[in-house]
Amino acid sequence: MFEVRDVHVAYGAVTALRGISLEVREGEIVCLLGANGAGKSTTLRTVSGLLHPLRGEVLLDGRPIHRLSAEAIAKQGISHVPEGRHVFPGLTVRENLVLGTSNQSNVRRDEMEADIARMFKLFPDLERLKHALGWTLSGGQQQMLAIARGLMARPQILLMDEPSLGLAPILVQEVFRVIKEINIGGTTILLVEQNATMALAISHRGYVMETGRIVLQGPARDLLQNPQVRDAYLGGGKPA
Amino acid sequence: MSSNEIKKATGFHWLRPGYLALVLGAVVVILLPLLFTSRYTTNLLILCASWGIATLGLVVVLGYTGQISLAQAAFYGLGAYAVALGTTRWGVDWWLALILGLAAAVLAGAVLGSTTLKLGGHYLAMVTICFQIIYTLINTNWIAVTGGPDGISNIKRPPFFVPLNSAQKYAWFALGALLLVAGLVWWLRDTALGRAMRAIRENELAAEALGVDTRRVKVIAFILSAVIAALGGAIYASGYLYISPDSFNFDHAVAFLAMVLVGGSESALGAILGATLLTFLPEWLRDLKRIYLVIYGCAIILVIVFMPEGLWGYVKLIGRRFARTAVLPSARGTLRVGGRGMAGEEILRVEGLVKHFGGVKAVDGVDFSVRRGEVHALIGPNGSGKTTIINLLSGLYVPSAGRIRFLGRDIVGLRPSRIAHAGMARSFQNLRLFRELSMWENVLVGAQREVGSEADTQERAVAAIEFVGASDKAHEICRNLPYGHQKLVELARALAGEPDLLLLDEPGAGLNQTEKQELVRLLKRLNDMGLTILIVEHDMSLVSSVASVATVLNFGKKIAEGTVDEVLRHHGVVEAYLGNREVALGV
Repeated sequence: MFEVRDVHVAYGAVTALRGISLEVREGEIVCLLGANGAGKSTTLRTVSGLLHPLRGEVLLDGRPIHRLSAEAIAKQGISHVPEGRHVFPGLTVRENLVLGTSNQSNVRRDEMEADIARMFKLFPDLERLKHALGWTLSGGQQQMLAIARGLMARPQILLMDEPSLGLAPILVQEVFRVIKEINIGGTTILLVEQNATMALAISHRGYVMETGRIVLQGPARDLLQNPQVRDAYLGGGKPA
Repeated sequence: MSSNEIKKATGFHWLRPGYLALVLGAVVVILLPLLFTSRYTTNLLILCASWGIATLGLVVVLGYTGQISLAQAAFYGLGAYAVALGTTRWGVDWWLALILGLAAAVLAGAVLGSTTLKLGGHYLAMVTICFQIIYTLINTNWIAVTGGPDGISNIKRPPFFVPLNSAQKYAWFALGALLLVAGLVWWLRDTALGRAMRAIRENELAAEALGVDTRRVKVIAFILSAVIAALGGAIYASGYLYISPDSFNFDHAVAFLAMVLVGGSESALGAILGATLLTFLPEWLRDLKRIYLVIYGCAIILVIVFMPEGLWGYVKLIGRRFARTAVLPSARGTLRVGGRGMAGEEILRVEGLVKHFGGVKAVDGVDFSVRRGEVHALIGPNGSGKTTIINLLSGLYVPSAGRIRFLGRDIVGLRPSRIAHAGMARSFQNLRLFRELSMWENVLVGAQREVGSEADTQERAVAAIEFVGASDKAHEICRNLPYGHQKLVELARALAGEPDLLLLDEPGAGLNQTEKQELVRLLKRLNDMGLTILIVEHDMSLVSSVASVATVLNFGKKIAEGTVDEVLRHHGVVEAYLGNREVALGV
């Protein structure tokens, strides 16, 4: 579905990605693992067009998209749920959701209302809070809103950056359940997570990054059992 | 570590570029009036020196402290009028008149400085503009005292060992004063006060929480900047021997701001560079007659757009490529945390704590206590009031009701900086680093105390950086550090104050499971050294490996407390917070 080929990215003088290649197939959940600073978020930002590669290409259904603006890429059906949520603080929950459709021109009102209703079904908390301003939401509620807003774009591909960050255990379980549900509904997902155990549990395949390179890849089940992965990211211990 | 080693470690050395610049500056001061002897250029040198001094004042208030001021010309005018009136009408000695002018500047600076306590950004800019305009109005219209629009002539020059009876001698005097003030402003930057100022510029809230009395430091910054400007004004008045209100109006306040921005607001040398350029540029462009102002304006815009840190910032950026990185020496003493007292005694007691935000009860009557030597976890769903409690304890919020006793003292209503000095340190959920300062400087701000020597401060900072194991990166600018290291800086900064109690707000967020194990080891070591820790954290395997006791909140109320094992089996806790207990604990 989309493919990253030998991409190099730098922030000024600091090289962040040193030639990474990865592939996400239709209907998959693919997770990216790695230590802080390995380049996971940079990869997502490159795919969504917030950063542009020095070298290499990003292909969506075979067409290069790495020279397009973030806005143009969003219109191609790639939606990015950034780390730290970035909910619009001065707008209500509903307004935040409506803005999620900005990537489409001529949104039909009834379709949009249907989408909002769908989000409220997926995240019942948000319906209760639909008139609350973004900043009054707790961390967990903001995360739900950020995911819902990303889904309002009706993406073919959803890029998620640490969706479980700062959430209570019960909400972490909830978020992973929702991610799985979204995927079953037909959305392809590229997921960056520090909670590697849970991420691998719902993913089909995974890539492991280290200092801007991909060092390991494979089916999620294999990565879960891999002693290297267990030592570096799962806190060691024996395979379950 | 000997003080000599500290000096090396922190880059204090007579060969440091700053000292070289001072020596070089002295040579330039002596040469300039000898090289440019025409009356016209000598006058320009004097003008440049006095404007340069006023601009140096802005380095303190804008460059270091990050507070915008558009009233610098008013302070400049206070000094000028004091000398003018003193030596012509009141018949007092020049130096006494100067002191009167500086005293007036102290008062005016304190008044303007106190308005900064509640205001920031564009509001502060408006207030300083109003202050400047009121000053100009008084200057122009209070004719009985100021002479009104006609100004004052026949101003005297000061005797300075010899009578300064020629323009050349006076130019030496003015340039000497410029060099002296520049040296002081440059020296201020790395003192405890200068660091506190820059910490405020980077993150005022974090500075206050680390024990910087931000109100006092901001007022001091305004006073210093006012006094420096007044000195510049006095030198201007006696240089030109005639003054009128036109030289001290809003246009000049904007010009001073342009000088500091063009030159580079964080550096004394940059300010002089900016002042020099903008003094001489109009003279060089005079031949262009009518369009000279257009070119002058465009030049300023170009510099600000393409060199946002000013000319000097640009030079420094190039210089950084050749800079060697200094290495921290190993600490002589070890980190002393945990304070003195009996293990097990109650050091924090919270009773009936309530905090309302409008109609929302974020914290609704919570009691708990923390004993010396324990690691106490505060857990609960998102939005249950945990971070609010941390903010109440550290003084960032004032409780709506309830009592907080820390080490036997009631700390409700104390400012965060006082609470930090009392021995409570904290970290923030979303990092609040002083991003443009180095790790070393960040930790120094955490280490410094109102009393105590710089050597002690540096020793505490070295020990804290060594403790978290980040000595190799100590001189890097925080903005450039990877996230994991930034978290370590926050921890080291909090530890450098040698607290009794450490409040940690989600220290594990954003770390992977292996990194979390390193964090656990670090926290255990701290606890072994006697440090009491109150930790807010969602990772239950992390909590159960470090904490012994836990208090559980939901909807602002306490729903359970006890040992960690007990509360994690508590029915209500599992239902509201843990969900699947095995998954949550990672077992």
